Amino acid sequence: MSLVSNSAARLLPFLALVVLGVSPLWAADEVIGSVKKVVGTAAVLRDGQSIPARAGLRLLAMDTLSTGSDGSLGVVLHDDAILALGPSSQVALERFAYAPAEQRLGFVARIARGTISYLSGIIGRLAPETVRFETPVGTLGIRGTHFAIKIAE
Amino acid sequence: MPPPSPAPPPAPAKNVFLLLPDAQGRVGAVTVTNAGGVRTLDTAGQATRVRDAQSAPTVPQVLGQAEIEGLFGAALITEPVPPMHFNLYFEADSTALTAASRDDIPRILDAIRERSSADTSVTGHTDTLGDPKRNFELGLRRAMAIGSLLAAAGVDPGLLDIGSHGETNLLVPTPDGAAEPRNRRVEVTVR
Repeated sequence: MSLVSNSAARLLPFLALVVLGVSPLWAADEVIGSVKKVVGTAAVLRDGQSIPARAGLRLLAMDTLSTGSDGSLGVVLHDDAILALGPSSQVALERFAYAPAEQRLGFVARIARGTISYLSGIIGRLAPETVRFETPVGTLGIRGTHFAIKIAE
Repeated sequence: MPPPSPAPPPAPAKNVFLLLPDAQGRVGAVTVTNAGGVRTLDTAGQATRVRDAQSAPTVPQVLGQAEIEGLFGAALITEPVPPMHFNLYFEADSTALTAASRDDIPRILDAIRERSSADTSVTGHTDTLGDPKRNFELGLRRAMAIGSLLAAAGVDPGLLDIGSHGETNLLVPTPDGAAEPRNRRVEVTVR
């Protein structure tokens, strides 16, 4: 009697976590945000595949965002940062760490080309030195902010 | 023979880094760094141009609205609306919400519906009183209670991101070991 209920009691919190959609902290394919707006041609490049972007599409660490010459894309990240791409743009989300309780914070994006705008969120507020945008011509660092970058091909 | 005309000035560099105000008009700062040097932008509308990885970013200039629109209009108009935040508070030593916070639940449900949110976080927070590990767990228990409440009200659990920041993300900054009811909250962020 007690054996069964003890096991059930130990299992229950874990099951509750699974049902409520909490990813284990060690999950490799951690969801880091979602697509909110799509105009024209836009895609998420993931593991060699091109996924057409649509509102509600979840983003994973290491995704690359890409837009066609007629496209633009708006995404929200888990730390409430906002990232938008104009046409003919490509940005790789190289690192996204948002676990303040473990002192794990950071966001690194690499812009290959095009135009982006970024409004920093909680990672930018708690640890601005961990936010970086790498481009072929220079690296941008922040102090909690809203900015835009254009990289000509 | 007429004197030779002066050479035309070089075209401005095509790579642009621009600092913008946020929706509340606040301005932060950015630095642009490459092998040629470092440039800081700290005024709304300031931009620096960079020719290549070896050329120092230019002295900042404030861009006009028309030029900002021309360069970045497509991206700026596609920026999603900022997420909506709700701070929920609890009765002392309880996972029961205060009456005022109970009134926020229908507002949260409306926001999730109106934004077609695919990603809403429910994050537990505590004040700095007590042990950080215990505070992390307390925050998580309270976040899970709210997650269950929202799921019972019809929200798809798959779009909820339940977690805890313990005492590491204070709403009201305090030193360690400080009791502060405003920090003891579950923050629901609808994206």
